[in-house]
Amino acid sequence: MTEKAIEIINLVKKFGNFVAVDNISLTIYSGEIFGLLGPNGSGKTTTLLTIATVYKPTSGDVRVYGYSVVSDGDKVRKMVGIAFQEPKALGIDKPYDLLLWHAKVVGYSGEEARKVVKDVMEDLGLWEHRNKYFYQLSGGTRKKVEIAKVLIQKPKVAIFDEPTAQVDVVSKHYLWDKIKELKEEGSTIIIATNDMFEAERMCERIAIIYKGKVKAIGTIKELKDFVPLGDTIELELASYADQHVLDILSRFGKVRGLGNKVLIYVNRGEEVAIDIIDALRRSGVKIVRIMVKEPSLDDVFFYITGAKLKEEIS
Amino acid sequence: MEVSEVKKLWLTALRDLERFANNKYWLAAQIAMNLADIFIFALVFRGFIKRDIVPDYLQYMTPGAVALASFVAAFSIGREVGMEVRRELVDYLLVLPMKRTTLVFGRILSGMLRGLVYQVPFIVIAMILLSPPTIGKTPILIATSIILTTTMSSLAIAVSTISRDFNIQATFRALTHYLLFFFSNVFYTRKALELRFPQPLPDIINIMPISIAADIYRWCFNYYQSIDIWQKLLALAIWGAILTLIATTIYLRNLTKR
Repeated sequence: MTEKAIEIINLVKKFGNFVAVDNISLTIYSGEIFGLLGPNGSGKTTTLLTIATVYKPTSGDVRVYGYSVVSDGDKVRKMVGIAFQEPKALGIDKPYDLLLWHAKVVGYSGEEARKVVKDVMEDLGLWEHRNKYFYQLSGGTRKKVEIAKVLIQKPKVAIFDEPTAQVDVVSKHYLWDKIKELKEEGSTIIIATNDMFEAERMCERIAIIYKGKVKAIGTIKELKDFVPLGDTIELELASYADQHVLDILSRFGKVRGLGNKVLIYVNRGEEVAIDIIDALRRSGVKIVRIMVKEPSLDDVFFYITGAKLKEEIS
Repeated sequence: MEVSEVKKLWLTALRDLERFANNKYWLAAQIAMNLADIFIFALVFRGFIKRDIVPDYLQYMTPGAVALASFVAAFSIGREVGMEVRRELVDYLLVLPMKRTTLVFGRILSGMLRGLVYQVPFIVIAMILLSPPTIGKTPILIATSIILTTTMSSLAIAVSTISRDFNIQATFRALTHYLLFFFSNVFYTRKALELRFPQPLPDIINIMPISIAADIYRWCFNYYQSIDIWQKLLALAIWGAILTLIATTIYLRNLTKR
């Protein structure tokens, strides 16, 4: 993962006086699944649409495999495919016609196009809906049609904007597998989502975007380590945790004794746990059970953005 | 898997044309309504208009209706493009692996083809009410239709992308529509215009693109026996080139300004 697939360099995008993206810089490497995580209106879609050459940067640039979205848009578009947040079709469009046309435009010959469209539609359970009008389809089915475009295209950079919003649980897992297959076939994947579970399950690295700014970038583990004393080590001892035991444990982090149970709030819990086991063994304290609990991505998000739930809702 | 830009242009045009064909019943009803409106209007006025100004109003107006038909249909692509801009469906077209100019000309081509399809019944009626064009006049009729529908299609598309606001889109479309419609000799002969309007208005109206096209159609359907056809065709081609160039520039700018 050393080749740079996408370089976002000091990207600013304004709509009038509103700053949608505020000086974002980040790099996405070839072959990775990268997540843009943030609440609605945080600037995820604007960033994606700038990568896909729909929007022009107000300042800064985005480079896709070295090509600038500002000066080499045609070349960028040959490498990028996007599944939009809102499926893009008129009510009178039919999924099969839409996908067949898409397949031809992205480079399949007539026969190949018919085959790949049938295969992908069958794979996503869309075949039975092929001749329905778009307005007759459910939200989830529309979303699958949108994702089918990218699966047909197999672009070098595949962008998914909220790929599983409105999709049922079973289909959601299936779509995730399909996106992972696309990565296996060589695509670099970018997923914008506000679903922490999706981000955690799918993405190798994540950028947390909030109010147009990147607040943190890293692997899930790195982001979790951002939260000071975010890991919780839960110890169950064979006997009551007296002051002596608590004193030993307080060397590692903040300690809370609950009878024969102790909660220790630490950083890098899985590493500290080994040291704790050693220290207690040396002191002759018998451990019945030890469990390391990481902070959830929600905890990370709230810690990093400093956002209050109330603020988010309002 | 590389597709040429020409093929992409053709695919873009076909996509729009298929949508047009999907609305075939709407299309048939639209044509029937337009034909009925125009010919009821012409039949009624045939009785009112002085014979020394227009000997046969129905015959005078029919070739003009052929010209109007071309841009009524071409404007239907404008309506669709406008809807795509309003609903942000255009974003999908903008991310496709094709040049923006390919997209723009593909859509203009589609508007042109729609216009030609729409014109067919009007041409048939003109052939019945007047007389069919000779073999020598047929290529000129086709060329006129192609220039006119291309011009109107590009104009309609450009006007429809001026704003995302439906009201503004509709106002500009209607304004363009009625300016072209009203300032033409489709409904009034030069003699009638000169009686009603001061100069240079009659002269201006006569050099407007719809007027020029209507005159060429009148000649093609043998209503006029002699006009300077090459001069008219050249004037129409110049109009077409200028308007198409302006419209294409506006459309491209509107597509890429975000």
